[in-house]
Amino acid sequence: MISITPKAQATGSETSFESKLDLTNLTPEQVALDINKLNLFYGKKQALNNISMSIPKGQVTAFIGPSGCGKSTLLRCINRMNDLVDDCHISGEINLHGNNIYNKHVDVAELRRKVGMVFQRPNPFPKTIYENVVYGLRIMGENNRRNLDEAVEKSLRSAALWNEVKDRLHESALGLSGGQQQRLVIARAIAIQPEVLLLDEPTSALDPISTLTIEELINDLKEQFTVVIVTHNMQQAARVSDQTAFMYMGDLIEYSDTNTLFTTPQKKKTEDYITGRYG
Amino acid sequence: MNKWFKSGSPWIWLSAGGVSISLISVLGLLWLIASRGLSYFWPSDLYQFDITDQNGAKSVVIGEIYDREEIPVSQLAHLNLQLDPNQEVLERLLIKTGNRELVSLDFRWLLSNYITKTEKPKEIAVVERRTHGNFYGYIDSVVLDGKTVDQSELPKLLERVDAFQEQIDELQKSDIGAINYKLERLRLQKRKYQLDNELTPARQAEIDSETEILKQDYEKLEAELMGYREKVARDHIVMRAMDGQLVTVNFEHILKVTFNNQLNVFQKTGMFFSQIWGFLVEDPREANTEGGVFPAIFGTVLMVLLMTIIVSPFGVIAAIYLHEYAGKNALTKILRIAVINLAGVPSIVYGVFGLGFFVYMVGGSLDQLFYSENLPSPTFGTPGVLWSALTLAILTLPVVIVSTEEGLSRIPSAMRHGSLALGATKAETLWRIILPIASPAIMTGIILAIARAAGEVAPLMLVGVVKMAPNLPLDGNFPFLHLDRKFMHLGFHIYDVGFQSPNVEAARPLVFATALLLVTIIVALNMTAVSIRNKLRERYKMLEH
Repeated sequence: MISITPKAQATGSETSFESKLDLTNLTPEQVALDINKLNLFYGKKQALNNISMSIPKGQVTAFIGPSGCGKSTLLRCINRMNDLVDDCHISGEINLHGNNIYNKHVDVAELRRKVGMVFQRPNPFPKTIYENVVYGLRIMGENNRRNLDEAVEKSLRSAALWNEVKDRLHESALGLSGGQQQRLVIARAIAIQPEVLLLDEPTSALDPISTLTIEELINDLKEQFTVVIVTHNMQQAARVSDQTAFMYMGDLIEYSDTNTLFTTPQKKKTEDYITGRYG
Repeated sequence: MNKWFKSGSPWIWLSAGGVSISLISVLGLLWLIASRGLSYFWPSDLYQFDITDQNGAKSVVIGEIYDREEIPVSQLAHLNLQLDPNQEVLERLLIKTGNRELVSLDFRWLLSNYITKTEKPKEIAVVERRTHGNFYGYIDSVVLDGKTVDQSELPKLLERVDAFQEQIDELQKSDIGAINYKLERLRLQKRKYQLDNELTPARQAEIDSETEILKQDYEKLEAELMGYREKVARDHIVMRAMDGQLVTVNFEHILKVTFNNQLNVFQKTGMFFSQIWGFLVEDPREANTEGGVFPAIFGTVLMVLLMTIIVSPFGVIAAIYLHEYAGKNALTKILRIAVINLAGVPSIVYGVFGLGFFVYMVGGSLDQLFYSENLPSPTFGTPGVLWSALTLAILTLPVVIVSTEEGLSRIPSAMRHGSLALGATKAETLWRIILPIASPAIMTGIILAIARAAGEVAPLMLVGVVKMAPNLPLDGNFPFLHLDRKFMHLGFHIYDVGFQSPNVEAARPLVFATALLLVTIIVALNMTAVSIRNKLRERYKMLEH
């Protein structure tokens, strides 16, 4: 029932070797993010229960689970977007390079430059395509025209959008189709060269063809970035990710490499979910 | 019937009726002030009436018909008129007869029964004068340098006088005005030195010598001015009034001589537009009942622009704080309600506040700190254009705050999150994303503020508007923009001309013309703002989700 695409051979034998990482026992160099005993409350309601996991570098990690299981909340913790929610309290740690991002002295803007994010609905700014892509760079103070031009081309190429928009860079981004807008938003996120890219159900508002383009794109992106993706679509998780975490009611039920999770799940709840018994 | 109610038709009819009533009242208002106002500029026919009154006395009346009305005969019983008993109403005419030096009133009512003959002689001339209003009559003779010349010389002579008058105005307004201004500054400087005990003999000598030079310049200009005046006053015309009296009108008082009955439609149209132009660009004369309204236009527009410059940043900053930074608690809610309620405070209360706070407190302190040399006559401690603009800025502040806040809350959170996720701080997000997207809403607030401020008169009467301002707040003397000066305002002008004028009949059409102008200016200001807003809207069009 669930088709699992074999991991692309093109990415090299090294990658396929790494895909069989022992997730409970990674070396510090292999870890991009280390989540440690993370609890999150919205007011008095607990949304995440004691989550601990390590997200490996240079791979695609997917969070799956039924609606309201806390997968998006967990993703938003990684770049502290939950700070914007009133009444949200967090305990525990998320370590990036061994530093807890919830430390008092962390510059949140700086953190978000390292941990980029793409949202469920495409949200290009009402500016030109060019200005959308260079927005993050301009914020960082880059105003050299040549550098910006280079970054635009590179990011748009990486986001597989260059060929479609290269002749209308200075037209409004709002004239693009939904799928193009989502790729533009990805280009905007990678233009500032983050280390980690968080994708929050990036294809849920798109048609199947655009979805396919974005999935191919995700596969390419992991060569440069650590990708964490939230999806409610299990096939998508199976197609694009190396690791999958299954969450349920704020708990992390099972976390292992994608192949194992979908073929031989260890927990009853996981099995019930992936075989479609609930969710 | 029940079905008809259920179908919703009655409500549609009701709402359509509401719209129609609003539309009719707006159009009716515009039509009334436009027709009354514009007819003032149309050159009217000049009539000569032969009159025989109930005592048999005969006389001649020359003038324009201003108004007609019908009155019941019963009201005229005391006149013992010999009337047809079946006649119930009598027509009477309001005639503008001008010639104020001969009769004290330049309007008179004529009962149509008394009129034995009505003519429109081509030779009647109306002479528009700088003082004493119009003169209606026949030109008896044109006297050039003591010698009578042919009447065909008149246009040429008038042109010559116009050229001189222009130079006189130029001299009086800019050259002599500038010297007076400089003399006043020197006097103030001297006074300042005296107050600070710094008036050294060297400084004294310097100021005295400068004053001397300016005085010499002044005398030279004055002599030049006198020369022009003499040239202008060289010639005169002799007019024959309706009662046959001969009146000498010197060229120095003449603005224009027209033979209205000789004009054809095209010439009249030409005159119509030139009168409108004159109304727009000339200064008022004769206690505002004649001439143009240029200083009032200028004052209104300048004050509104100043007000906009003051209110926009303050309103936007306040709205940003309330919406973005203030905690979402009871205090913020109370503040917001307070701001909304401020919009309901009667405007005269703002006027009182402006007078007490801005004029007396702030202005008075400014005078003591910076303009002490001028005391006891106040500089900023008296009503002026700056205080008017500030008072109206406070009056319109709530409007800008409320609509900016609404604009801010309409922006989808996805925009903020998108920007924040790219490592922008809250301030950067505000500046680069939120404010541009909110700019149409901000413009809406400014439009509403302009609409409210431009029509406001009551508070201005306390904080800066005057019936007649000798100088514009903007002129060629450093520092060019004189914010301490009082100014004229169209709204106040309407009130003044309509209700405070010594010559009510003459002023009535001016009231309508000025009202039409005020509406036009407000609409023009609004349209400018609306077109800016539409451009911004086009630019920051949001995605339709």
